[in-house]
Amino acid sequence: MTIYSFWIFDRHCNCIYHKDYKRPYRQLRPRSDFGPGTNDEKKQTSGGPPTGKGPLSVDDDAKLVFGVVFSLRNIVTKLAGEKESFFVYRTSKYKLHFYETQTNLRFVMITDLKVDGIRPILEQIHAGLYVEYVIKNPLSPVEHANGVGVNNELFNLGLDRFLRPLSIFE
Amino acid sequence: MVVYSLYILNKAAGLIYQRDFNEGLKRLSSNDYLVLSGTFHAVYAIASQISPVPSSSGIEVLETETFRLQCFQTLTGTKFLLISEPRQQNTDAILRRIYELYADYVIKNPFYQIEMPVRCDLFDRHLATFIKGIP
Repeated sequence: MTIYSFWIFDRHCNCIYHKDYKRPYRQLRPRSDFGPGTNDEKKQTSGGPPTGKGPLSVDDDAKLVFGVVFSLRNIVTKLAGEKESFFVYRTSKYKLHFYETQTNLRFVMITDLKVDGIRPILEQIHAGLYVEYVIKNPLSPVEHANGVGVNNELFNLGLDRFLRPLSIFE
Repeated sequence: MVVYSLYILNKAAGLIYQRDFNEGLKRLSSNDYLVLSGTFHAVYAIASQISPVPSSSGIEVLETETFRLQCFQTLTGTKFLLISEPRQQNTDAILRRIYELYADYVIKNPFYQIEMPVRCDLFDRHLATFIKGIP
């Protein structure tokens, strides 16, 4: 069971926390459109001369991840009603798990395919770690202004300690 | 085990077929369906971009509390979206069978224009029979 990355977005759609655990490959942004019939292998060259605009930065990645999550939530709301949200989606190579709290705080975790039922883990991260170390910290900002994320030593340590036994790092 | 609806999207993210088989989801206007299919097409493409591992496909399965959405993209870029109950088994096999029906009664229909909305009576009938027959 491998965790690739972990993100937290606040209700103003900013990425306030991000952690990459295992990122074997940073995708090059392709120049052409996302045509489904075109050959994906050709576009995604890891070495060699850069064909696109260069590897995706963390910021761009955060924006893409948030965009996907936000649009999917809209789709689900349209289909199923106001209160619904999705838990997880799977592609051929990874799974994205999503958990949203009542305060519109969004937890996103990208893992490999072998992972199942990570929702209680995300709930635990929120209740046991985020609330404990971030919300209850009187010195941490209530609204995160541009760029200032969750900069909390205890939260980082707690998260590491919590997640490492659960996953396999190479 | 209930299948709620089927959407077929063409290469350009246009909705070419939409059919509700059972009650269970909200009633949507035809504009809503078009918006939904466009949004899903875009999200599918971005999902393969944010993959931590190279050459991922787009979204194949999306699970929520009230429904499960399975997507099958053919080699020609046509997407089949099947929305069913969360506990529905064999959605994979169902989608492949629907693809077979599509190939037989839509593509092989000489009067059907590729990428245009599907208006083939035989396809509708066989699809209805197949969906009703799912245990």
